[in-house]
Amino acid sequence: MSVTLSDALELVVRLFLLFNVLAVLALSLVWLERKELGRLQGRVGPTRVGPFGLLQPLADGLKLLMKEDIAPGSSVRLIFFVAPLLVFVPAFVVWVTIPFAGDLVVRNLELGLFFFVSVSVLSIVGLVLAGWSSNSKYAILGSFRSAAQLVSYEIPIIMTILVVAILAGSLDFVAVVDAQASVPYVAIVPLAFVIFLIAGLAEVGRTPFDIYLAESEVVGGPFVEYSGAHWAIFFLAEYVNTFLVGVLGALLFLGGWRWPFDDPPQLAALALLLGKSYLIVVVIFWVRATYPRMRIDQLMSFGWKWLIPLSFAAVVTTAVQMFYGWPQWTLTLMSLGILAVPIYLQLRLQGKPARALARHYAEIAVLVEAKPRPEPEPEEEPEAATGPAPEGASA
Amino acid sequence: MIAGVKGLATTLRWLLRKPVTAHYPEQHLPIQERYMGFPALLTDDTADEPFCTGCMVCVRECPTQCMTAVMHDNPKFVDGSSHRRKIIETFEINLNRCILCGICVDVCAFDAIEMSYEHELASYARTGARADLDLLLSQGRKYMTQTGWQAEAPDRNVAEIALAKKAAADAAKAAAAAASAAEKSNEPASAPESAKEEEENA
Repeated sequence: MSVTLSDALELVVRLFLLFNVLAVLALSLVWLERKELGRLQGRVGPTRVGPFGLLQPLADGLKLLMKEDIAPGSSVRLIFFVAPLLVFVPAFVVWVTIPFAGDLVVRNLELGLFFFVSVSVLSIVGLVLAGWSSNSKYAILGSFRSAAQLVSYEIPIIMTILVVAILAGSLDFVAVVDAQASVPYVAIVPLAFVIFLIAGLAEVGRTPFDIYLAESEVVGGPFVEYSGAHWAIFFLAEYVNTFLVGVLGALLFLGGWRWPFDDPPQLAALALLLGKSYLIVVVIFWVRATYPRMRIDQLMSFGWKWLIPLSFAAVVTTAVQMFYGWPQWTLTLMSLGILAVPIYLQLRLQGKPARALARHYAEIAVLVEAKPRPEPEPEEEPEAATGPAPEGASA
Repeated sequence: MIAGVKGLATTLRWLLRKPVTAHYPEQHLPIQERYMGFPALLTDDTADEPFCTGCMVCVRECPTQCMTAVMHDNPKFVDGSSHRRKIIETFEINLNRCILCGICVDVCAFDAIEMSYEHELASYARTGARADLDLLLSQGRKYMTQTGWQAEAPDRNVAEIALAKKAAADAAKAAAAAASAAEKSNEPASAPESAKEEEENA
């Protein structure tokens, strides 16, 4: 295949446009997060810069770019300064194949789902290198944590994507969206959607899973030593990834730009997709405002003992349904049934300590009752019971 | 699980609530009745002068030593229109140092100083944080109108008593002089009696 100059130019223009769109999206996410967190906490969020504080992220970005860019003296400078790009480039490259509406895409790769899976994992390398080259114990701890967390939660994401691929019979994003024209996959495989949302949260390090960024433990994780523009690149990557989770959720489970209007015009399709993506992002911020951070052992046990078995169960049920050609509502039923298992177990286990304590107290009560209590002295009891004695009695 | 759903519902309810933030320079929260702002000096309307006599007890007790006070003889005491022998001449509070502790109010023997509602005294001048007597009195006046507090006339005007005593003494002296001058004159005791009566009336 020969590449002509005009093709190359067109690609460059498209990538440039994509980069700008992503930057604007990231800025909008920063604003949205601050505003929503503020409202959820009874505050108002940014209000001063621009109308409704809309220009606040721009001002923040400007401030970060003007800041002095410092590298610790003991850092490995080359890797230290390359690591942010190693985090950002995979986050950016994934978007090359994400369709915004129909053919509104930089390049449809036909194997878009596979491309996403293979490229998105690469950012772990950047995080580990950032932590290692900083030569700081917090940074290296944070990068170890990020490696453990991202690798663990990559598996459920891949499994849920596999579910979608099985259902649609294609790894092409457009084909997946077209297959959801009448029924979005969230109605068919709610289990996979829930797993995708939770694992997606962990994958981008949003709050209940922000263990590798934990400010109170590893003071910002791999980014401790970064400042200025390089830190801003990490931040940009984080928000781009957050929005990626929103867009993927919308494309894979909420019907992308097709559902509920079968084939809307391109602009409406774009608005529909963005609206769905922002909906998921809003939920992500909402979760952030609600839950505290998990412990790292909780994170690991949750990932390996719950999410991964559940995601395998989702794949198996989907495959079985497709193989035997059962009607789709059976898959919904199976999905909901499997989803009910962890909910039921959680509800049972939640009351376990309280029930154990109640049993313990019951045993103690038996022991105490078995032993006869010493009788109180009989002399003072009647006097106290009859109330104040007449004055002559005491004298 | 249930707790998690409850938590989400709680945060969602906060989203629908009105934010508690008040945008400060444009929007002021109401000042509470017992709010303690910077100290201010109150004015005695019955004598049209400050209550403060410049006794310096607040200056000595101030933990940050933010106050200075100078006392002088009260010109109104001489003609009997005030019962204060001494009155404040200059009073200055360095508001940068003041920690709004209210000790000056507690120790004041004349109830001359009060914690006012003033709290927005920032200025661009380097000396802007110094509150002099005029400013303190005007703030005290403002505080008095805000709280509706009024000075009461003293039940006993020391100045008038002293004036009467002085007049009596002068009269006695004059009478004695007159008596010594006139040696064998008549009733010398009339003047002291009238002075005594005047004293009782006062």
